[in-house]
Amino acid sequence: MSKVLDIRNLYKIYGKEKVNQVTALDDVSFSIDQGEFALIVGSSGSGKSTLLNIIGLLDKPTNGTVRVAGTDTSKLNDGQISSFRNKKVGFVFQFSNLLSDLTVLENVMLPMQMAGMQKSREKATELLMAVGLKDQMKQRADRISGGQAQRAAIARGLANQPALVLADEPTGNLDSVTSKNVVKLMKSMCETLGQTFVVVTHDQEDFGNVDHIIQMRDGKAFETSMVRRVAT
Amino acid sequence: MLDYRLKLAKRMLFNKKGSLIGAVLAVTIGILVIHVNFVIFQGLYDAIVRDITEYRNGDILVTDESNLIEKSDTMLVNWFSRIPDVKAAAPRFSSNGEINITKNGGMIETNRIPLLGVDPIQDIQASSAHTTVSEGSYVFSHNSIVLGSNIVRDLGDVHVGDSIEVGVVNRWGQDEVRRFIVSGIATSPGGQGLDYSAVVHIDTLRDMLDRKGYTSSIMVKLHDPSSAENVRDLFLASFVNDDFVAETIEESAEQQLAGFRSGIAMINMIGYFGMMSSAFAIVTIQMMLVNGKTKEIGIMRSIGARRKDILVIFIMQGILIGFIGAAAGTGAGLAYTFYAKETKLSFNNSLPLEVSFDWPKIFQTALTSFGLAVLASLYPSFRATRLLPVEAMRYV
Ligand SMILES: Nc1ncnc2c1ncn2[C@@H]1O[C@H](COP(=O)(O)OP(=O)(O)OP(=O)(O)O)[C@@H](O)[C@H]1O
Ligand SMILES: [Mg+2]
Repeated sequence: MSKVLDIRNLYKIYGKEKVNQVTALDDVSFSIDQGEFALIVGSSGSGKSTLLNIIGLLDKPTNGTVRVAGTDTSKLNDGQISSFRNKKVGFVFQFSNLLSDLTVLENVMLPMQMAGMQKSREKATELLMAVGLKDQMKQRADRISGGQAQRAAIARGLANQPALVLADEPTGNLDSVTSKNVVKLMKSMCETLGQTFVVVTHDQEDFGNVDHIIQMRDGKAFETSMVRRVAT
Repeated sequence: MLDYRLKLAKRMLFNKKGSLIGAVLAVTIGILVIHVNFVIFQGLYDAIVRDITEYRNGDILVTDESNLIEKSDTMLVNWFSRIPDVKAAAPRFSSNGEINITKNGGMIETNRIPLLGVDPIQDIQASSAHTTVSEGSYVFSHNSIVLGSNIVRDLGDVHVGDSIEVGVVNRWGQDEVRRFIVSGIATSPGGQGLDYSAVVHIDTLRDMLDRKGYTSSIMVKLHDPSSAENVRDLFLASFVNDDFVAETIEESAEQQLAGFRSGIAMINMIGYFGMMSSAFAIVTIQMMLVNGKTKEIGIMRSIGARRKDILVIFIMQGILIGFIGAAAGTGAGLAYTFYAKETKLSFNNSLPLEVSFDWPKIFQTALTSFGLAVLASLYPSFRATRLLPVEAMRYV
């Protein structure tokens, strides 16, 4: 299987002066294959979000390399980074994923419109049906529930068929029932579309069997490779 | 299909009604102030020009370098009447003197009254001064006199039909007194008419001063004032050997108007400063809009919006604000101008403003404030592009 994400000796140090420096990532290395479902777990402040943001090119590492779909992302310029975020990664955050000035449908269309893609409306409609938001499409994005918003964010994350979908505590703000549904949705998208997911979570149990678990502790990553689950 | 950036710009702006209205109002008021200033001050200026033209100087005023025209006024008036552009021409003679009235045994006297000699038949064609006679009638005979309302006030109780004495010092230095019957009283809104003068028959005044055949000025009225320079040049070319001075209204009224013009220039400048402060209001409001959209900017950046796209979105908001504000301001300004024109607006019964639609200026004002609004949005838009996506996402 091809490596869709390959991280080598990644460091992130916040703060310029020695006294108040924080080593948020400390020599992190791991890789994830195409179509896998990976979890990043660890206590608060262990560096999970920092890691995810660097993978998603929202932030830059102090040192080390990140390859996404074979591209060394440190070599990209500003414009290429934007295009990369648009086409190669999809983001799902804990809160406020959607633009409240747009409808749910328009939110999902947005990454496709940015990419200059044709038929964005049809594709967004399809995706929203797949995540079970057929009836909420025309609603303004701030008029739907938290669980619906996360589903919409997942649909948007999948819009440009990215190499990676990155989710930072996507269920952190949801009740347990809703949370389980959102997890199920992500796992089924991974299953049916062969879409790679990297998910930061505090609720590892909700996810059941996954392909990878990256345990973060004080900026260091400890990888637990799982046996690939048998298709159910 | 509508570009997603324009759609976002519109939605973000229209969902923040308060900011939108504030910013649009800033532009609107900036423009409206300029329109109102124009209507009032340019209107006042044009009204003064209009009244000086109508009552005193005509579209062209012919005088002589030596103070008095010696050539026959009939000949000159005839010369002008042959020019197709000329509507009418009339001679006038100006001097000054004193007026007194004896009433109830007492005598009231006023000094240094401007006396104006007119040819009644020709004057009513070249000037509308006769229309300012509010009581009685214009000069019609050799011993009738029209008094300006201010003189009437100075003299106390004077009425049409009263007999008064007018004294002048003639060309030989001798006092010359004649008796006149008041035929009318003249008053004009704004006082640019004959309010301060006494009008008599031109031949009577010439006779009193012993200046038979002399004329102070020829007042020329044109069908179309814009041909004034041509007619003036034609006249001067036809009388090169004389010492005539022929001036268009702009030239002849220069002294009265110069100060006013610099006043208008200053008012205009104040108007443009007002516009600039609208621009600062827009900067402030847009900074607020940008700060309120930090999270949205972060989301947009995280799904692939380039800095350029963010810039475009916020500049489009500036364009929308500028466009709506310019349209509303121009609309309101035109409505006010229309109202002022239709109602012949005046203040405290003063002279009615001469209101006009100056289309190039209207267009220029709208364009300037639109441009300023767009310019004002540049800095906030630029600031929006500097937000780093991670930083932006931190504000939840
Ligand atoms: N911009 C920053 N400047 C300085 N230090 C930072 C910054 N961002 C994060 N850190 C520090 O880096 C470390 C890792 O932070 P990070 O947000 O990645 O943790 P996390 O694992 O996502 O925690 P949580 O589970 O609470 O979200 C923390 O000690 C944090 O204080
Ligand atoms: Mg975190």
